[in-house]
Amino acid sequence: MLNIGSFKTQTCGGLSRRSFLQLAGSVPLAMGLGGTAFASAPRAKSVLFVFLWGAPSHLDTCDPKPDAPAEYRGPFSVIPTRTPGVHFTELLPRIASRSDRFSLIRTHATTAPGHPDGGTVALTGFPELPVPVQPNFGSIVAKARGNQGALPPFFSITSGMLADAGRRIEGYGGGTLSQAVDPFLVGCSASGEIKLPALQLLDHLNPLRIQDRRQLLTQLDTATRQVENEQQRGWTRNMKSGYDLLLNPVARKAFDLTSESEKTRARYGYTTFGQSSLLALRLVEAGVPYVQLNYSRHPEALNPGFELGWDTHIYNFELLQDQHCPTLDRAFSALLDDLYDRGLIKDTLVVMMGEFGRTPKITPNAARDHWPLCYFSIWAGGGVNPGRVIGTSDKLGESPLGDLVSPLMVGTTIAHLAGIDTQARAEMNVLSGGKVIDALL
Amino acid sequence: MHCSNFPLRQPAAIKVHVGRNHRELLSAVLVLCSFIAAPAVADEPVRLTNDGRQKSSPVFRNGDKELVYTDFADATLFQLRRLVLADGTTEHLHSQPTSAEFEPAWSADGEVYAHLKLRGVLSIGIVVRDRQGTTLHEIAPGGGFNGYRSPAIAPDHSRLLFSYAERGSQQIWSSQLNGEDRKPLTETTGINNWPAFSRDGRQIVFSSSRDDDFEVYSMNSDGSAVRRLTNSPGQDIRPRFSPDGKRIAFTSHRDGNAEIYVMDSDGSNPRRITVTPDRDDYPEWFPDSHRIVYVSETGGRHDLYAVTVGP
Repeated sequence: MLNIGSFKTQTCGGLSRRSFLQLAGSVPLAMGLGGTAFASAPRAKSVLFVFLWGAPSHLDTCDPKPDAPAEYRGPFSVIPTRTPGVHFTELLPRIASRSDRFSLIRTHATTAPGHPDGGTVALTGFPELPVPVQPNFGSIVAKARGNQGALPPFFSITSGMLADAGRRIEGYGGGTLSQAVDPFLVGCSASGEIKLPALQLLDHLNPLRIQDRRQLLTQLDTATRQVENEQQRGWTRNMKSGYDLLLNPVARKAFDLTSESEKTRARYGYTTFGQSSLLALRLVEAGVPYVQLNYSRHPEALNPGFELGWDTHIYNFELLQDQHCPTLDRAFSALLDDLYDRGLIKDTLVVMMGEFGRTPKITPNAARDHWPLCYFSIWAGGGVNPGRVIGTSDKLGESPLGDLVSPLMVGTTIAHLAGIDTQARAEMNVLSGGKVIDALL
Repeated sequence: MHCSNFPLRQPAAIKVHVGRNHRELLSAVLVLCSFIAAPAVADEPVRLTNDGRQKSSPVFRNGDKELVYTDFADATLFQLRRLVLADGTTEHLHSQPTSAEFEPAWSADGEVYAHLKLRGVLSIGIVVRDRQGTTLHEIAPGGGFNGYRSPAIAPDHSRLLFSYAERGSQQIWSSQLNGEDRKPLTETTGINNWPAFSRDGRQIVFSSSRDDDFEVYSMNSDGSAVRRLTNSPGQDIRPRFSPDGKRIAFTSHRDGNAEIYVMDSDGSNPRRITVTPDRDDYPEWFPDSHRIVYVSETGGRHDLYAVTVGP
């Protein structure tokens, strides 16, 4: 586990710089992974998994039901996409106009109706129980592919460990494959400032400003002394990995969003998700095998102390039209454009989805609750045949018509396109029983 | 250097208030002054803020001297922010709020204002305050996941409007300022939202999805004489009467993305005001009824802009 969580209130632990360096040197890091020998040539050299944590309403975004009764359809108009016969709501005009660049699945279903478990199922294909927790799709790719360059093989873009309120999502990382293939967490602000949660003790530390190794060591030493003894070892390992990354010119280049033109940055929008999407693009460009781009750290919306996630139990329509959809529409369309324009799309698999859908029937609060029985995903690049719709939901958006697509199938398809074949999956003992979504290919 | 309408503060004062790059601020003040002193339509719209942070719901207070809006600088604690138009300085409206505050609404005479407040998990109430900011009333929503939307105050402070959902639909309600004597002004299917009074308090304009997507409607302040004012594809939302009562500004998606429109108060003569590939939203009239302030995402940044729409 490379994230240390919040240590801002911890007191001095009295660790010296010498002992810190000795500890750090003894811990194996994900950055040193060599990969396994049994992964075949991938169609997708990189995977970019866009996680809409909190679960967007499928009826109000990519699976509208304009002919449903008023208590189902919601207040938004529908607009045509570039895919014949396929409509989105008016909240996603830019993405709709690029539907020839991706394929859409409207027949997802999951077994987990709540956030903590739903998040784990969405990211691993399996529930949290029984333990042990299965690995995140990204950890599987990281294990199989190892380092493809100077950077860790699995990044998760977030301001901290994904959590539902105070409870972390167990499917965040390596699971049965070990913490060595946990994601490396990196945050990005609305202005494009990079933050490494592993180094969050170091106030005012900007990786792009680190020019002097001794200055950095001094800061690290000072920060280390603030950590309590029982947490020294894990924290030191995390800090070492963050430290390595800070001094890594490839990482620093990837993190430097200011090297992009103002025009490019503007297309993504100066929002946390917008600039995070641009960071995701740059990590892919730098050869990172798996990037999980999270819309928010928490699913909650309108909860004290939390940012705005997609969990719209109230204010569903207001939040979608005022916040989430304009932000997503701008950033994701820019991301697709740049993946195409920079020649990356052929070798990059893009998957965008939440952990479930939301109730087709509008709730008494004029909003939508959790709905695990039907939701959508978007797939692009990396071996996916674009411009198609896989499956349909019923006239109310309550159930898929025909074959269901499970989270396990999502993970299996990602692994397949990333070059991790049936034998490789079996030897890693992951994604057991999973099937590839052949209709996408 | 000074504006013809409003004196500028000294640079030192500006630094204290905003604490950011001087050159950028000076530029903002210059364009602001040029707009206030002699609006040049050819150079419009005029950018009123330069921080680019997400923001929404601008409303005037103290005549045309100040704007208050929701600032999303901290996504976990969005707050109300005050912009002084004379010098471009901004500051929090309330010092050290501990809960998210948003959607401000002022009475026409500035004596009373209201805003939404995040009270707990998925629980949003209304706070009513006097001119000085002293809390007069806090109106809690019902139990469980519940919240009010879009408060508006009658010009004579006699009534408070808000949108509130129950039994699957969302209606416009009227109450006393303390939340008592609640009366639904709408009773329809769908979502009714964004109520706003006319300056004389006799009319209310709002949007509703009762006939499919969001359209703009008007009604008397008692809920009678409902009249549909728009009929277009896409959302027509956030309507606002001009202070002289002659026109209505609103946001429409009829041309493919969110743009600011103006129409006569009977719904006739709709006219597109903004023409950008980006979202333009949250219109609010200047007190002179000739200009509009709004939030634009031009260049990927969220800032307040002003534009003249003429008499």
